[in-house]
Amino acid sequence: MSDAIATHGLTKDYGAGRGIFDLDLTVMEGEVFGYLGPNGAGKTTTIKLLMGLSHATRGSATILGLDADRDAVAVKRKVGYVPGELPQFGGWRGSEIVAYVAGLRGDLAETDVEAVAKRLDLDLGRKYREYSHGNKQKLALLLAFAPKPSLLILDEPTSGLDPLHQQEFYGLVRDARARGATIFISSHVLSEVEHVCDRVGIVRDGHLATVGPLDQLVGMRAHRIEIVFAGTPPIERIRAIPGFEQIAVDEHRVSGMFRGEFEPLLAALASAHVTKFESREPSLEEIFLGFYR
Amino acid sequence: MTLLRIAVRSHRTGLIATALLAAIGGAVNAIGFVLIAGTTAAERAVFAQQMELLGRQLSYLLPAPLQLDTMAGYLVWRAFGVIGIAYAFWGLLSATGAGRGDEERGLVEEWLSAGVSRARWLATRALAFAFVAATSLVIGLAITEVATIGLSEALPIGALFLQGFVTWALALVTFALGTFVSQLVTTRRAASSIGGILVLAVFLVNSAARSGLDVGVVRWLSPFYLAERSTPLLRGGSLDAAATIALFVEALVLLALAGLAFIRRDVGASLFQGRAGTSPPVWRPAGDPLLRLPVLSLVDQQRLWILTWAIALAALAWFLTSLTKTVVDALGTSDIPAMRVYFERAGITAYSDFVGVIWFSTLLLLVSLFIVAQVNGWAADDAEGRLETILSAPVSRTRVVVERLAAVIVAVALIVAASSAAVYLAAGSAGISLPFGRFVFASADVVPVAYAFAGIGHALVGWRPRVAVVALGVVAAIGYLTQQFAPLFGWPDWVKNTSLYALYGTPMSKDEWGGMATLVAIGLAGTAVALVAMRRRDVGR
Repeated sequence: MSDAIATHGLTKDYGAGRGIFDLDLTVMEGEVFGYLGPNGAGKTTTIKLLMGLSHATRGSATILGLDADRDAVAVKRKVGYVPGELPQFGGWRGSEIVAYVAGLRGDLAETDVEAVAKRLDLDLGRKYREYSHGNKQKLALLLAFAPKPSLLILDEPTSGLDPLHQQEFYGLVRDARARGATIFISSHVLSEVEHVCDRVGIVRDGHLATVGPLDQLVGMRAHRIEIVFAGTPPIERIRAIPGFEQIAVDEHRVSGMFRGEFEPLLAALASAHVTKFESREPSLEEIFLGFYR
Repeated sequence: MTLLRIAVRSHRTGLIATALLAAIGGAVNAIGFVLIAGTTAAERAVFAQQMELLGRQLSYLLPAPLQLDTMAGYLVWRAFGVIGIAYAFWGLLSATGAGRGDEERGLVEEWLSAGVSRARWLATRALAFAFVAATSLVIGLAITEVATIGLSEALPIGALFLQGFVTWALALVTFALGTFVSQLVTTRRAASSIGGILVLAVFLVNSAARSGLDVGVVRWLSPFYLAERSTPLLRGGSLDAAATIALFVEALVLLALAGLAFIRRDVGASLFQGRAGTSPPVWRPAGDPLLRLPVLSLVDQQRLWILTWAIALAALAWFLTSLTKTVVDALGTSDIPAMRVYFERAGITAYSDFVGVIWFSTLLLLVSLFIVAQVNGWAADDAEGRLETILSAPVSRTRVVVERLAAVIVAVALIVAASSAAVYLAAGSAGISLPFGRFVFASADVVPVAYAFAGIGHALVGWRPRVAVVALGVVAAIGYLTQQFAPLFGWPDWVKNTSLYALYGTPMSKDEWGGMATLVAIGLAGTAVALVAMRRRDVGR
């Protein structure tokens, strides 16, 4: 399997520490890749570089073997894109926007448009300004998915969608994947990443913090620990335990994220009166937050 | 206070533009009066007599020409009439911007959810406009007053203040009208269009009455009529208290109605809501084939806009051409030395020359303004995400630039064709013979001017989108004024030639291939810079 996306030292420096820096990332063909990070982490900047909408300060990116910047036109014949910020089309009807984009792309079959529009329950007869935010997002999804591209680059694709249409979106992603497409999803909604992604990359302050398969990331051997004491918790001893982080104390209750061997933890608790001890694997949400604390 | 401060700030562009208009309109006409009308009583009497002949022809547009041998009379006729129209339309556009534009952008929802009542919101917006309009008039009229003092023909300050007061009341009425209309529709564009038609209608009611048509009591509904009843600057004139009070009553009634409608309606909806239509959903792209074709898709998207320009310019062309004989007869053989010199320097010796000089210089300015509007649209394409959508399709940045410029040329060609046809027909019906070949050449020569402007405009958009519109507007305005004032003031040729319009020359009387080639070269240079800038820049920043 070859690379659908490959970046080498990709950097966009806006100054004052903003942008994306030295990004080395590979997404394989046929893979669904989740690109996670909070607002301002550099997700949209990365996507604009991949789409050739912004020029890199240094480094390079290749999309399906083509240079993202130099071969931008050829790249876009193979790519469907959902922007992070929806455009404004004023009084245009949805059907006119689709016809215009169809003219620009040249590969948009009416039957495919109809299929996706029906699936998303999007009436193209209405004016764009009358669309709700969710309907505008559906139109963006339609324009990305209907051409059946080899690669889909989706920036916050479920923004504004209700749960029913989020499910429909997951279905579109699964179908695209089934026909061999690669999908790159930027998101801060972890549940959607858990739904559809094979691998996840987490970006923080313009740097890629980690990349790994979803199941590996979920099982990074961290445990969510919650302990309830009969009396005052031995907080000094607990804080001294190696690998016990994000400690929160609420009267008799202590919680935190624990990585490593359990012996030091159990030894520290041996002399205390523990009424409840709970350990579970953290959700992706908790792992995600862990990268930002 | 925060809401008021923000509301006042939202009018700052209008404040600067209208204050400049009032200042330039007042000061330039004051200077022009002294230069053209002469200084002796006899010269001025001749000037007044001949201007009144012209003034009667222009009574559809300007106030009645009275006391044109005085600075005050001339300014009331030549400057304050136009300034009043400008403030009236500014009032309307400010109201639709506040009443609907802010709602479209979600700002009204923000304020209402922050605990501001609808009545307070509306009252604050009206108060803010009243304050800004007053400030604008004070600045504009103060500069006019300074100019007349400098010319040793100072206007009485009290009377000038009253003249400004009446203009202010007129602007408040159209603001109230715009606010009311905004409650009846759902978009700013619709509110501006309907409001514009209403303001034009009440303006024409007054124009018709001024021209001698009996329109009965209906004229009292026209705020323009009410405003013109006050003549504080004229000898023996005064402020018509009843008419001025009527203006304020009209404004208050319209604002009260707007307030009631605003309280009753849903945010984002019009006062009168029909039930949702039952038309079946559409699942397929629009069938319009033009939307899928390069260049024509851009023209097709603006078809109504281009049609409006074509009709408006054709109407203006007809109107100006129909005045040709009157103006040339009145001024071309005039006893006013300055006018004779102006006609000589401008090369006007026959009716057809006048059409060539006056119509084509007006057309060049208006076409330039059309280009400025296009440049504004290109900047908005970037800011509003449409350029990102276009470039996320397999479309090169080069194609975007070339298509836009080609679409502008097609649109300008259509507009020029419509207006030139109107000139030719109007000239024929007025018994003026225009040399067909030269006329076609002069019309076609407008297109290279448009290309040069569009090239510069696109280069500016690629470089600094936010300043492109203002910069190009300044180039157009200075170029036009230089062309107009050079013959009047006898400026040297090199000053006149700094204007881009100088390259257009006088194609009605001689071939201008050199100028045309230079304009095309400027357009090509602008295109080249635009291509480089477009390739190098990041989209959306």
